Order: sequence, then structure tokens, then C-alpha cells
Amino acid sequence: MKFEAKAFLLVIGVVAFMFLGTYFTMIVPLTDPALYTPTKDAKPYTTLEAKGKKIYEREGCVYCHTQQVRNLLEETQRYGMGEEETFKRFGIRTLIQAPPSQPGEYVYDQPHLLGTRRVGPDLARVGGKYDNTWHLNHFRDPRSTSPGSLMPAYTWLYDKAGQPTGEAVALVAYIQKLGTNYRWREEGVEQARALQSKRAPAVPAQQAVPPTTTQEGAQ
Amino acid sequence: MNDTAVIHEDTSARWFIYTAVTFFLVTILIGILMATRFVFPEFLGGIAAISNGRIRPIHTNGVLFGWLLAANMGLAYFVVPRLCGTKLFSEKLGLATLGLWVVIILGAVVTLASGDTQAKEYLELDTTLDILVTIAWVMFSVNMFVTIARRSKERQQMYVSLWYLMGTLIWTAVLWIVGNLPVYSGVNDANVNWWFGHNAVGLIFTPMGLAMAYYYIPKSTGNPLYSHKLSIVGFWTIAFLYIWNGAHHIIFGPIPTWLQTVAILFSISLLIPVWTAVSNFYGTLRGKWTQGNYVVKFLVAGTTFYLLTCFQGPMHSLRTVNQIVSKTDWIIGHAHMALFGAFSFFAMAGIYYTLPRILKRPMYSDRLGEWHFWLSFVGFLGFAVSLWIGGFVQGLQWMNYTISFLDTVKAMYPYYLVRLLSAVIMIAAQLLFAFNILKTARGGAQLKPAMV
Repeated sequence: MKFEAKAFLLVIGVVAFMFLGTYFTMIVPLTDPALYTPTKDAKPYTTLEAKGKKIYEREGCVYCHTQQVRNLLEETQRYGMGEEETFKRFGIRTLIQAPPSQPGEYVYDQPHLLGTRRVGPDLARVGGKYDNTWHLNHFRDPRSTSPGSLMPAYTWLYDKAGQPTGEAVALVAYIQKLGTNYRWREEGVEQARALQSKRAPAVPAQQAVPPTTTQEGAQ
Repeated sequence: MNDTAVIHEDTSARWFIYTAVTFFLVTILIGILMATRFVFPEFLGGIAAISNGRIRPIHTNGVLFGWLLAANMGLAYFVVPRLCGTKLFSEKLGLATLGLWVVIILGAVVTLASGDTQAKEYLELDTTLDILVTIAWVMFSVNMFVTIARRSKERQQMYVSLWYLMGTLIWTAVLWIVGNLPVYSGVNDANVNWWFGHNAVGLIFTPMGLAMAYYYIPKSTGNPLYSHKLSIVGFWTIAFLYIWNGAHHIIFGPIPTWLQTVAILFSISLLIPVWTAVSNFYGTLRGKWTQGNYVVKFLVAGTTFYLLTCFQGPMHSLRTVNQIVSKTDWIIGHAHMALFGAFSFFAMAGIYYTLPRILKRPMYSDRLGEWHFWLSFVGFLGFAVSLWIGGFVQGLQWMNYTISFLDTVKAMYPYYLVRLLSAVIMIAAQLLFAFNILKTARGGAQLKPAMV
């Protein structure tokens, strides 16, 4: 009795193989607590942030922005805080790497927005990088803040006078939330300060690292 | 595989094909609107319904379900009754399926343009449309399974195309229903999304495309199938191996390392089903490459693109390669090689073979068919090669964090420009395709004596 002559044999074989692969690659991860336990700092979305996430989904932001810092040195560097930024904001000239994204940071995401393509940069750690005004200007006219950007201008999130609507405000709230389920900016600065005071306790923070040994241009 | 004395009506096949080609034209025009914005970001800006974020799912869903799946369903309504030596179970059910399919596609365009989306790649359609797709698929499956069950005494031994078709009927139903369940969250939602997304290609479009290639390659060349054994190996390895691969879309991402490694191992083993199918196709095509027939050209090129895209796929899953090409435009080139270069080429060959037999008259113009092939071929190569080079360069630039992201975007400009120009050639080719079909359907004189 061969499957070429018996359709039900073929159907049984197809279903059995499909179940096998699905069991190991989908059902086993679904039952893995590491994948659904929130991180220590994870908080559910506020109403405003949840509204912003809906707008992010509606406008298809996910097609051009990923939300995952991959476990690669170049990504933890690129999406971390550069030397310029840490110097300007905290008086320490050091690169604070962004931690790779952890499963526990995503547990409140339904749907997930991990994304697959970066026409624009990854946004998993963007919260806190820019202020709200920067984002509001950026959504209305992306090339005013980021020359060369390919992002559409989201003019329909603004009224006729160019003032942001509630939708624009919600979207900014959501963007500022991204990456804060892990207090990496705060912890990174604390660690950098501790390291610095250990090395040279008597010197003021700004001068701890001689400018000649730093690298410029980190973004 | 000889056609017997059964008289086929082929109404469902014919109208499914016309509909698919119409949706094809619309959805590739949306594609070119997106490609234009990569060169001129402000082009037709300020309108929410046609902004790139809203029309991207219209392009992908439209091409996948409006064109390719509909075209393959149309060809299945032609192929299956012939392989079974019996009439299609119900032409009325076939036409009802088509009506529902049109409602689904139009509904998808309206809802996606208005921002009503589930926001997961290839699972964007809202719940009502999800249910309609399920109903349409059940209607299609009933038509196919009953026709197969009623096959004639001489056709009890089913041909390989029927195995792939029956596999697709089951795989699609399970993927669609399980993938659309609104019960997952976080990284598991992503994992299920890619369990679906990868297998939408691997277990819907691949087996459907292979079913068609296994029928049309022997038919259009007049050669017997090279090897029955290879087709058995190819079918069962696809059935076993494909489903494990979803996680290779999230390599280095926030999912367990073991899951990534399993996906990589199974991705590499995909070379087995691909190389068996491709050997079988090349073996069947032997001696016919230079026959001067555009149907065969589409099949040869489709087979070659299938080989190449399925060599890229396993290689992309390797961590060292993935580090560079993942998230870049390289992947867009790769996806178009699978769905345009390989499976759309198979479907086009199928349509060129099928329509004259349904309508009992040759294609309106074989020269237009030749032009359709060469423009599609050249246009596609320009499209994909520019994105491969550009994407690879951008991937390498991303590895140095001192190059700002914006600078890596600006560096893509020449590649996006070549991509846009190539896309114009691709679309011009499809206009010829549609024109040729229209003229053939309306009857009247052909432009030149037929070669088919």
C-alpha cells in the first residue's frame, strides 16, 4: 500500500511531520518561563503609551524599524549611549553599550513589533535618547532633524496649525517607553561613575579621561 | 499524463487566472510607488492611506494572495482534473470561491489602507477577513479533494503534482488558523509569526509552485519526468524539514540560542529537498533549453532562480552571514527571487501553457511572450543585484558603529535608484503579459502564427 495511491496515507504523513516540527519549535518555547517572565523593571503600558503603540502599528512603522538589539557587539555599541551623549548629559566621556534585548522585556507586547528590516535604525533602546520636542519635529518633518532620512512625514498626526494632535503625543509617549523595561541608561551611568571614582577619586568627573584618548563621532 | 476523453469546462481556471493577473498589475504598481519613495521620500506624501507603512502590507499580501496564490489556484483547477482523468467536482463551487476571493482581496486593500491591521508581517488581515480566507480555502480544498477522490481507475497512482497540492491544502489551513490565533504575546508572538511567515513561503508557495513545475515542465517540453524516486525524496523532505525553520528570522535576537541553532541546522538541510527537485527539473528539461519557446524559458529561469534563492536561504541562516545581511535590503532581493523569479515564473509559464488550451486558440502574440520573459528576467536581475550589493555594503557599514546610521542610509541612494529603474522594466513586462492575455481572451486574429 503506497502513499501514491492512498491519499489518506499522504495526509497522515504530512500532518505528523508538521506536528513534530511545530511541537519542538513553537509549543516548547510557549511553555518556557524564560520567554514569558517579565524583567525586573518591566511595566505594562500606560493608556497613553498603549494608544501610541496602536498608532505605531497602524502606520506600519514596524516595516522599517526593528525593535531588537541583537546580541552583537556592533549593535550594543551603535544603539548604546555614545561618548558625546554621556559627556553632554552626565559629564563622563565613555561609551555605554546597550544591553542586547531580553525576552522578558517584551511580555506586554501583543502584537510583538520585533520587525525584520532596518530602513531606519533599531528602536528597542530609543526611549530617553532624544527629548519629546525632537520626536514631535521628527514625525512632522523627518528631514529637518535627520537629513537624508527616508521616513514619510506624518503630517496627519498634526492639526492645520502644525500643532501635534493627541495621536502624535501618544506616539511620542510610546517611543519614549521603548527600552525602559531594562534600566540600562541609569545602571550604565552608575557603573561608569563607580568605575571612574575607583580609578581617580580626586579628579572631577569631566576630566577623568584625558580627551586625547577618546574617539569622536560616535552616534 | 495524457489527456483523456473527459471534457473539461475550465471556467473556474480561466476566471481565476484573469483575476490573478489583474490583481498582479495593481499590487506591483503599489510596489513601484514604494520604491519611488526610496529615491524621492516626499513623493505623493501627506496622504495617510497611501503612505509607505500602509501600502507595504497591501503590496505583500496583494502579490502573495491576490496574484500568486490565486494564479496557482486557477492552474490547479486546470491541472487536477486532467491528472485525475475526471471532471472538476464543481465549477460552481470554483466560481463561488473566486467571488469570495475577490471580496477578500478588495476588503484587504480597504482595511489595510485605512490602517486596520494586526501588525504582524503576512498576518496583517483583520479577523473578519481571516475567517473569510479560511472559508474560501475550505471551499477550494473540498473541490480539490473530491476531484482527487473521484479519479479514474487508470489514475489511481497519483502524480507528484497531486501530492504537493494535497500537502499545500493541509499546510495552508493549519498555518493560517494557528498563525492567526490571538493568544500569543512577546517573543513567542514573534516566534509564531515566523513559524507562519517562513512556512507561508515554504509550505504554501513552494509546494504550490513545485506542483505546477512538476506538471508544466514535462508537458511543455514533451520529456518524461526525469526521476520518480527524486520526487519522493523531495516531497517528504520538504514535509519534514521546512516547519522547523521559523526562528532563523530572529538569529541573534531575544529568543533561546538552542532554538536559533535548531533553525540553522534545519535550514542547511533544506538543500536536500531543493537540490532533489532542481535536479529533477533540470533532468526533465534536458535538451530543451534552446527550444526557443518562452514557456520553457520561464521554466528554466524559474528553476534556476529557485536553486539560487534556496541556496541563499540556508546561507543566510549561518550566524556569520546573518550578522551582515539580516535586516538589510539584501533580504528584499532574496524574497523577490523566490516569489517573483521562481514561483511567479512557474505560474506565468503555466498560464501561457494553460490559456491556449482552455480557449482553444493560441496566444495572441508569441513575440510579446518573448518580450515578457526577457524584460521580466533583466528587470528582476537589476532589481535584485542592486539590492544585494547595496544591502551587503550597508550590512558591513552597520558593523562599524562610528559610521552614523544616516550615513549608511545615504549610501544606499544609487542602489535604490537602480532598483527603481529595474522595477519599471519589471512592470513594463507585466503590462505586456496582461495585454497578451486580454487580446487572447477576447479572441480574433493572432499577431503571428503560433509556436505553442
